[in-house]
Amino acid sequence: MKTRRRWIILISLVLFSMMFYLFFWMLTTPYDLFPSDPVRAEKMREAIFNIISRRSIQMLAMIISAILISSTSLVFQTMTQNRILTPSLIGFDAIFISVQTTIVFFLSSSSIFFVNPYLNFLVSAGLMIVVSLALYRLILKKNKNNIIFLLLVGMVLSTLSRSFASFLQTVMDPDEFQSLTIRTEVSITNMNLSIIWLALPLMIIIIYLLMKDYREYDVMTLGEHNAIGLGVRYAKKMNTSLIYMALAMSISTALIGPISFLGLISVNAAREMLKDYKHLPLFLASSMITVIFLVLGQGIIAETGYLTTVTVLISMVGGIYMIYLILKENKA
Amino acid sequence: MIEMKEISHAYGDFKVLDHINVTIKEEQITALIGANGAGKSTLLGVLSRLLEPFEGDILLDQVPLKTLKSKDIAKKIAILKQTNQLNIRITVKDLVSFGRFPHSQGRLQKEDHQKIEEALEYMKIKDLENRYLDELSGGQRQRAYIAMILAQDTKYIFLDEPLNNLDMRYAVEMMTILQKMVKELKKTIVVVMHDINFAAAFADHIIAMKDGKIIEEGSIDYMMDKAILDHVFDHDFCIAGVNGRKVCIYYQQKETVLEAE
Repeated sequence: MKTRRRWIILISLVLFSMMFYLFFWMLTTPYDLFPSDPVRAEKMREAIFNIISRRSIQMLAMIISAILISSTSLVFQTMTQNRILTPSLIGFDAIFISVQTTIVFFLSSSSIFFVNPYLNFLVSAGLMIVVSLALYRLILKKNKNNIIFLLLVGMVLSTLSRSFASFLQTVMDPDEFQSLTIRTEVSITNMNLSIIWLALPLMIIIIYLLMKDYREYDVMTLGEHNAIGLGVRYAKKMNTSLIYMALAMSISTALIGPISFLGLISVNAAREMLKDYKHLPLFLASSMITVIFLVLGQGIIAETGYLTTVTVLISMVGGIYMIYLILKENKA
Repeated sequence: MIEMKEISHAYGDFKVLDHINVTIKEEQITALIGANGAGKSTLLGVLSRLLEPFEGDILLDQVPLKTLKSKDIAKKIAILKQTNQLNIRITVKDLVSFGRFPHSQGRLQKEDHQKIEEALEYMKIKDLENRYLDELSGGQRQRAYIAMILAQDTKYIFLDEPLNNLDMRYAVEMMTILQKMVKELKKTIVVVMHDINFAAAFADHIIAMKDGKIIEEGSIDYMMDKAILDHVFDHDFCIAGVNGRKVCIYYQQKETVLEAE
């Protein structure tokens, strides 16, 4: 079976990426990993163990984000009935950064809402939910079929919230600004691992809630009218999906920072690969593709001595792919 | 039986439905006619809970529609709107299988497969079941959608301009199938239509709307009347009898009169 072979290839690529990220450095390192001197060997074993466990945690963070990014992008595309928009293109992750800045600006960096990573996360996630629901009510609901308009809104929104954040950062006390950068300058090479043990269970819950009625999303691909006609509670489904989506975006942005085109690439690649519209296989395949992109990409970048970042690579590939998709959709 | 009581709806300040009271009779084809913007599609949308009316009640077999769960309504009412642009590639069989969603929640059982087969065969598209929807002609695609509605296995079927984009042969075929569904499967069908002659030939009952109100309703014989149709469409109609049926002509009448002189 063709599909089965594709799944096997995907799974082996995922495993390969993980192995690559965890162990490949051992082959290229200039140090002698297994010295003959027993004392040094002991130290070296400790060092190897440290590196591998650090990389495991980083990998876990990437996997959590990968799953969240692809599932939300997939659901978002079903909600807005297109194949081009993703939450980050609409500016969801930019909102997260400005929420962080706002907290520091108005409550100071010594505030418990900033210092405690869990409380901080909860507050920012809560604000994200409010903002995204408002966004949905005001813009998404009415302009669902107008991709170009939504892209423009996304551009304006992310520029606006970035400028707002940088404005606050400029007038901020320099010390406060210093502590703020810890949260806002999060990227894949500078992950915020302090919340990972909150992120993991939250991810599992969100994915469970999001995907437990995945068949309703299948029906929703037939469009709003057909979906309601077939008994899907469309408005309610939209609202709850949006809340999960805001939460998911908060987690992934807090962990590894914003990565614009990742969801777009992986969901569309999964669609092309499976030639399917069903959400369960699409979710699994796109999550795996995202993991490959992030983990393997980051592994390779690490080997080159961090010459560039995965984010840059993904933005380049993703940007070109998005232009291709828009051109293709326009033709059809 | 579906009853609408004092239904009103508006888009902004514009009243689309104005205190509508109407009863949909069972095991009949009811045709909804009226000029563009008369409120036909909105009425159909309200009837099938796609739209929630601002005012009024709809009783589905004596039970208010509001109090029913969406899932349960979907077992009684099926609705097909006029625009069906999909952005996914899906086979005919998969589309028809979606009709079973209210019953199976997507986990198809033996009974569901049987209903899907029946619907495919009833609409004579069994041979197309593995084809993709975008490869089909307009008529075949429309039949696939009707098959989905049929698989939904509801007593009431609401169709919004099902004859759009169909050529005459397919349009006649579609209406004949609807008639057959009423007779054989005891369905109650409401159709929004533009072609009065089609309504006259295939419907049992005609409801005429104008400016958000129902201005006339009745049997074919009663409704195929110059005064009524002139009033409904603000247009000059000419009713003629062909093979014992009433048909109407509504174009180029002045010229033909001149020529006759």
